Amino acid sequence: MKMNNQNKIAIHLNKINKSYQKGNNKVVVHDDFNLSIAEGEFVALMGPSGLGKSTLLHLIGGLDLPTSGSVTIGDRRIDTLSEALLSTWRAENIGFVFQSHHLLPVLTAQGNVELPLLLTPLNSKQRKQHASLALRLVGMEDRSKHLPKELSGGQEQRVAIARAIVSDPKIILCDEPTGNLDRKTADEVLTLLATLNKDFGKTIVMVTHDLRASEYASRVINLEQYIEKGKQSQLSAAEVNL
Amino acid sequence: MNIFQLVWRNSFRKKTRFSLTCISVMIAFFLFSILAGINHALTSNVSSNNQYRLLTSHKISLARSLPINYQQKISAIAGVDSVSYASWFGGYFKDETNQLAVLAVDHNSYFEMFDEYDIAKSQLEQWKNTRTGLVVGQAIANKYGWTIGDKVPLSSSIWMNRDGVFTWQFTVSAIYQSADNTHDEKQIFFQHAYFDKGRAYARNTVSWFTPKVAEQADIDEVSQQIDTLFANSNGATRTTTEQIFIKERVQQFVDMAMVIKVVVIAVFFTLLLIVCNTMVQSNRERLNESAMMKALGFSSRFLIAQVYLESFFLLALGALLGCVFAQLCLVYVSHLFADFLPGIAIDNGHYFNVILLVFLAATLCSLLPALTLKRLTISTTLGAKA
Repeated sequence: MKMNNQNKIAIHLNKINKSYQKGNNKVVVHDDFNLSIAEGEFVALMGPSGLGKSTLLHLIGGLDLPTSGSVTIGDRRIDTLSEALLSTWRAENIGFVFQSHHLLPVLTAQGNVELPLLLTPLNSKQRKQHASLALRLVGMEDRSKHLPKELSGGQEQRVAIARAIVSDPKIILCDEPTGNLDRKTADEVLTLLATLNKDFGKTIVMVTHDLRASEYASRVINLEQYIEKGKQSQLSAAEVNL
Repeated sequence: MNIFQLVWRNSFRKKTRFSLTCISVMIAFFLFSILAGINHALTSNVSSNNQYRLLTSHKISLARSLPINYQQKISAIAGVDSVSYASWFGGYFKDETNQLAVLAVDHNSYFEMFDEYDIAKSQLEQWKNTRTGLVVGQAIANKYGWTIGDKVPLSSSIWMNRDGVFTWQFTVSAIYQSADNTHDEKQIFFQHAYFDKGRAYARNTVSWFTPKVAEQADIDEVSQQIDTLFANSNGATRTTTEQIFIKERVQQFVDMAMVIKVVVIAVFFTLLLIVCNTMVQSNRERLNESAMMKALGFSSRFLIAQVYLESFFLLALGALLGCVFAQLCLVYVSHLFADFLPGIAIDNGHYFNVILLVFLAATLCSLLPALTLKRLTISTTLGAKA
């Protein structure tokens, strides 16, 4: 599947270098890495562990900063923003779904979904309405009063997805969203993500090891081959059909 | 849902830990409040309506007497309204174990100046007209079953009378109550004239004078003028306000303010360690959640505010409970010690100190968690190093 170049670029990573200092050793995760993702794409990032898939996701989401290079989301370069501005930007533009959903155990499903809306000017009633709507979209409306410990893994992940979409971000970043789920539940979660992509036009970037998960994506990037190709030909993008 | 609900829910996440820490805080503030209540009793006479009264005693020691004619000289100083005097009799009733606070006072001026003693006008007149008359506190009258007209022998361990004995004969002429319920009702007064004429030695002297300063006068200046007047005599004086004098006397017995300071510092240092440890532990357990909240767009400032409010809530609740229990306890204790130590109560200034301490402790206890939250790296905490 080729990226539609006529689409507007939603995410652009340019000449990204990312390295960590681990003791006396310098660990290079990304070296001169380039990637562009168009608006409305559902991209699955795959590949063996240790290649920096999650790091890539965190760079796109502004959770981490590159050692060098630029990260542009929409029209905004985010790697130069201050921590405070980056927080505000994240609240407005990015939804996160993690393998461990990280729901607050002391809040109900409704409370967890309402949480990001505390950063918006919405009043209490409007926050409740938005959260209810998001829970309805993920089919969890009837569980809104339940605490996370009273939900199954799949239900928890649905609530996490509701939390990711409640503030209507353009981009949803998913880090192994089905990693802890059984096949059936994983399919339900992936179907939900695909619906959000197709029906609501959300740009989704998903890190996964799950081959079945890649079937729901509009583009699959095998990071190992992608990096190798990049090194050989300095191409800006590579496609791998599995 | 708002930040306060979030704080509320997080506070009760570990109910046992929260309860135990809260109890620790409660005990600390309970002790602090009880000591403050007792301190209030020891200093309550200090802070009443006697801000214009001074006390002039011998510069070297209160045990040394001053000539009685100082009264006229002090009265002549500008700014002095009136001057009264008193001498310490000591005294006991029948047995030396029944020690009493007995003062010989100037019957013409003393109770005009010390209006905190509530005495029926007719009784006061009767006392003034009875040379051997006694004015007795209600608590003492109740204790020994004395009534007006009773003949009472009181003995002094200091003063021998002209008959060569230490036992003096008196008649109960008046019984006083404390006008505002904060003063001691266990004192006994009699006429200085009877004392002076009756004693075998040191006549025409008094233990101290109590000059009353006019409201518009400068108290420090008047005090200085009195002491300067007698500076080069055998009876050099030291003049202070009555408040300072009583404070110094109390401190001779026990420096309650120092005891409170030491206890408060020890208790609050321990308290800080306990609450700090609780907050650090609680924060560490929630680092993933904090990282997730940061990922959602919550700033470090929001998360620090959350931790601060949790510390504040824990401390404020403990302080509130401690103060309430102390208040209840002091109501009982003040009743129990009404005669021995009147005026046990917590004043409003103490509550101001409590509020201040809660704010201060909440700030200190939030510092370490705040530092952790400020340094929290989302990607590292959420586990994406490679």
